Amino acid sequence: MIDAHLLISGVIFGLSLGGIFFLVTVGLSLCFGLMRVISLDQLLYYSVGGYVTYSVVTATGMPWLGVAGGMAAGAVLGFLAERLVFLRIYDRDITFSMITSYGILVGGIGVIEYVWGLVARPVQDPIPVRVDILGTHIPAYRLLIVAVAVLVYAGIWLFLNRTIIGKAIRAGIEDVEHVQGLGINVHRLFTITFVIAGALSGLAGALDAPLITVDPQMGIELMAFTFMVVIIGGLGSLKGTLVSSFLVGQVVSLGSLFYAPLAQMAPFAVMLVILLIRPTGLFGSPILKR
Amino acid sequence: MVRQAPPETAAAAAVAPLPARARSPVRPASRAMSILRWWAGPALAFALLALLRAFVPLPLVIEVVIFSIYAAGCNFLLGHVGLLSFGQPAYLAVGAYGTAWYLYYGGTDAYVGILIGIAAGIAVALLVGPLFVRLRKDYFALVNLALTVIIYYLMEQVLAAFTHGDDGMLFMDKMSSTPVLDLTDPGQFFIFSLLVGFALWVFYKYLDSSIFGACCLAAKINEDKLCFIGYSDFTVRLAAFVIANTTTALAGSMFAVYLGFVSPELGGPSRAADPVVITILGGAGTLYGPIVGSIAYIGMKDLVSKVFGNWELIIGGLLVFVMLAGEQGIWGSLAPMFERLWRRVGASAAVPGREGGSR
Repeated sequence: MIDAHLLISGVIFGLSLGGIFFLVTVGLSLCFGLMRVISLDQLLYYSVGGYVTYSVVTATGMPWLGVAGGMAAGAVLGFLAERLVFLRIYDRDITFSMITSYGILVGGIGVIEYVWGLVARPVQDPIPVRVDILGTHIPAYRLLIVAVAVLVYAGIWLFLNRTIIGKAIRAGIEDVEHVQGLGINVHRLFTITFVIAGALSGLAGALDAPLITVDPQMGIELMAFTFMVVIIGGLGSLKGTLVSSFLVGQVVSLGSLFYAPLAQMAPFAVMLVILLIRPTGLFGSPILKR
Repeated sequence: MVRQAPPETAAAAAVAPLPARARSPVRPASRAMSILRWWAGPALAFALLALLRAFVPLPLVIEVVIFSIYAAGCNFLLGHVGLLSFGQPAYLAVGAYGTAWYLYYGGTDAYVGILIGIAAGIAVALLVGPLFVRLRKDYFALVNLALTVIIYYLMEQVLAAFTHGDDGMLFMDKMSSTPVLDLTDPGQFFIFSLLVGFALWVFYKYLDSSIFGACCLAAKINEDKLCFIGYSDFTVRLAAFVIANTTTALAGSMFAVYLGFVSPELGGPSRAADPVVITILGGAGTLYGPIVGSIAYIGMKDLVSKVFGNWELIIGGLLVFVMLAGEQGIWGSLAPMFERLWRRVGASAAVPGREGGSR
């Protein structure tokens, strides 16, 4: 049997991984829910968030300023991408947005390689403290990521359920034309959603930067996992995204404890099984509107 | 009975002039002409590819031909059935490893190896197809990528005892020279790849004009109507899925034979979008799009990485540009021009009809 200490640290590792997955995929899921686009460029904002954090931390030595910078960079890029590209493709087929956003992702990675170079860069750990849980030493930073993810989920839930803009977004997820008929500027909602999504992806990159070394391909490496999370949770469902993020995080982390190659394969096997039972994921709606 | 007679006679009257015209001496010549025209497109395309050999080093041209075949499957799925697959490397790897296992463990004949690669492609496509094609379009794209990752790690780690993991399998020396065209010789392999490509394009051109091709288009545009006519959209999609992925597996096995080496990197998820990019660059759904796309893609990769060192930037920018500029791609926007030119030339021969360039 596996050592208890290993198991505890594995669970915490999985949770922090799930937190990162959640922050990236929540943007993807929101964009799909409201605009019916698959925005793979969220992975670019994730990478850029990581790189901006790296630059700010090495320049100023202040890790939290770096995180804020990464988040801001993600938001600005999300805004630009929405205004310049996505505005023109909302009424097209879903494959269209997928290919276009993939183009943005690949082009953006090219820019990253141009600006920061090909070498992987380490980012210093903002909280080098270790917490004692049941006799196992856990880096406090990982717990912080989990807390941030849960806070973001709560924040988005409050935003969607308690503010008028959030309610309009939820109504838009149900039926965009009705919302438009009520006299609400739908395109402003789209922009707001995109900026939120970009900021959260940037935040994910900023938080993930100290855990991994930032390198240009980090977005591509994460891509398969984000795909999987949104498939398991069901595209467009916030709750599904949260559940499946932590599920996938645990499967990756605990799977690798039992048998190393499982780390990458087990989540995909889980996904295939879930798709066999429910073709639209755990919480996805069965019909694709529009 | 009596009431039905007038339309029948009217129809007969309408049809009557046609056989009369067909019996006129122009007919055999025009028929030969139209057959010639039908074959001229693919033949011209591959003649031009062969000509490319004079200007470009051989490995690059072979890569172009194999990538064309690779992208042809993706092109068929995206352009004709409307299914976007980010997981073509999975089937590429299946074809490559099917061939590699045969050639590494005992086999020596490259032809048999390629056949085994194709068979492996068909088997895997039939295995996963029924599960995949009933998914929604967006899930379909994602699930294929998932399969790519599974197969990648299967080859890299789980089956490492048989695949030698990241080191790959080298079987260049184990292949014996084959009769007719010696596949171990790059020059003759090039001719072989041209022939295979030509055959494949004739096949896809035939599919375009067949009832099955029409069904595929219907599955892309309006599957409800397809079902209404009496076709099963599941069967049509499954057949298209198997055809497309077998094509991809063929490209994989050709890669294996050409390189004499297979490693998991060949079907790695980081290259998942290559065929999609080629398809979009060339023009999704056009017959010659994959060829034009792979020339553009590989040419750019080669040139830009020599001069600029950073070709992803260009590819990504171009992809966004092509999509925003109307999704037609290079060949998609060139083809109508050629068609007009062709029609003007053909007008003197008084043969109506159109070039196969555009679908």
